[in-house]
Amino acid sequence: MASPLELHHPPAFFVSGPSPFAKLIFFVALSIALMAVDSRMQYLNKIRTGFISVTSPLQAIANAPSELYQSLARQLVTRAELIKKNDRLTKQAMQNSMILQRFKSLEIENSRLRNLLVAAQTSILPSKLGEIVHMGRDPFVHKVTVNLGSHHKIVPGQAVIDDKGVIGQVTNVYSNSSEVTLITDKSLSIPIQIERNGLRAVAFGRGRDYTLDLPYLPANVDILKDDILITSGIDGVYPEGLVVAKIASITHQQDSPFANIVAVPVAGVMNHRQLLLLNLPQKIEVDEKVNRVIPPANIKTKDLMPIGITTNQLSPVLTKPALANTVARTVIDNPSQQSAIAKLATVKPAIIQSAITTTLAAEPTSKPAVRSSVRSAPKPANIVEPAHAPG
Amino acid sequence: MRQVSFRLVLLSFLLAYVCHLMPWSGLALWLKPEFMLLVLIYWLLRAPYLCNVGSAWLVGLAIDLATGSLLGQHALVYAFTAFLAVSYHRRLTLFNVWQQAAYVLILLVIERSLLFVLKIFSGGENPGLIYWTACLTGLVVWLLVSFSRFGLHLQSRKV
Repeated sequence: MASPLELHHPPAFFVSGPSPFAKLIFFVALSIALMAVDSRMQYLNKIRTGFISVTSPLQAIANAPSELYQSLARQLVTRAELIKKNDRLTKQAMQNSMILQRFKSLEIENSRLRNLLVAAQTSILPSKLGEIVHMGRDPFVHKVTVNLGSHHKIVPGQAVIDDKGVIGQVTNVYSNSSEVTLITDKSLSIPIQIERNGLRAVAFGRGRDYTLDLPYLPANVDILKDDILITSGIDGVYPEGLVVAKIASITHQQDSPFANIVAVPVAGVMNHRQLLLLNLPQKIEVDEKVNRVIPPANIKTKDLMPIGITTNQLSPVLTKPALANTVARTVIDNPSQQSAIAKLATVKPAIIQSAITTTLAAEPTSKPAVRSSVRSAPKPANIVEPAHAPG
Repeated sequence: MRQVSFRLVLLSFLLAYVCHLMPWSGLALWLKPEFMLLVLIYWLLRAPYLCNVGSAWLVGLAIDLATGSLLGQHALVYAFTAFLAVSYHRRLTLFNVWQQAAYVLILLVIERSLLFVLKIFSGGENPGLIYWTACLTGLVVWLLVSFSRFGLHLQSRKV
């Protein structure tokens, strides 16, 4: 009969080797060195990628229970629920098709109107469909992992959207998966425009509670609760016109000249798993004589969407060469308003000057020489670099 | 005394790692106990010749690589916690279950606070008090283990 004393064995007391304190000092120094290297340089990314590919079977095992539960839930759904869902989706599809018919005719009318105003053209961005594999594991960092990687030709910096609006940007790419940082993460910002009145601003992620912040707007700015924010397309990363967020609250503090505006993103990462990864926009050439865009070889002319521009308002959606040419033309035509135009434009004065000289050289008529008094313009206020996420 | 097999230690760490990799989200992400840390403290108390400050550092590094945070944060914090556990190891084995559980709670709180400081320094935001609920869930898991068959080995005499 086994006595209770034989059942449990006392723990070991004697440990040889360097004292724990010496070990601690060594490992603390090593950790600090690792943190410094990882935050400043990108050497350790290869180790991270290798480690993730090695532990992917473990990750698959860990995901298995929840996948099993979800597939079971889908199998065991009742017939009444399915009929209700079917009815709801049919109704929604009918409403959508009505809106879509109007949209096609509006699109054609829009492109015809824009063609009347001489302008450059951009192209529609192709995209890839991805699925969320799991949400980020660190509650400090707002990231999700998607099942497309470098095998599917994903590069860091690509914009990610879902059917409701903007989700974020791709920051890290591994061979079969990539990490998407949400716009609510502390390190990302996105240039937006208020849909109602066209006011432009930049929205920063706050890093907590899934909201966006619009700082540096004066207290008397024309913005109301429930205003919709859309991308303004200035940064060249997100296409123009995608819905980003909805204003949740506007408060004023007595001691600050800026308003305290909080917006809630419209896209729901919690709702569904399908995401669209948009390709990075391509560079576009401009034909200087006619001031129209030469489309890249693989894009048909009928796919191009023109963008309107008037002489006293320069649309920042134009790419830099196109914008420089339009600014040059406007400056040549109105030499007295040169400084005002330079303030509106967001292109470097050197580029405008070279565009002016080339345009003047191409023209046979004699116009008064345009001085290079184009003052330096403010830089576009976007900071969408895929920085290494903190912690 | 019976030698602890290295394979058992490795298996337990692997199991804890799989638990860590599961798709926790929302509130569960805040309440998730640090499985790897609990398994680490268990083996530190039971077999310090097998599992010591070095292994703690490696375990922390594995967590860093999986979580995608700055490499070295968890490693540093786990190594420090292991040091605290090992330096009081001889006294700990004389405690009873509840005193050991209290000490483990203190270790968990220290670990969370250190990690909090490191994350704030590397640019994170203050998450609020919910960040420390992981200590309480960790304590619950530790108590479960303590009262089970595996917990007998932690005491040098019966309660």
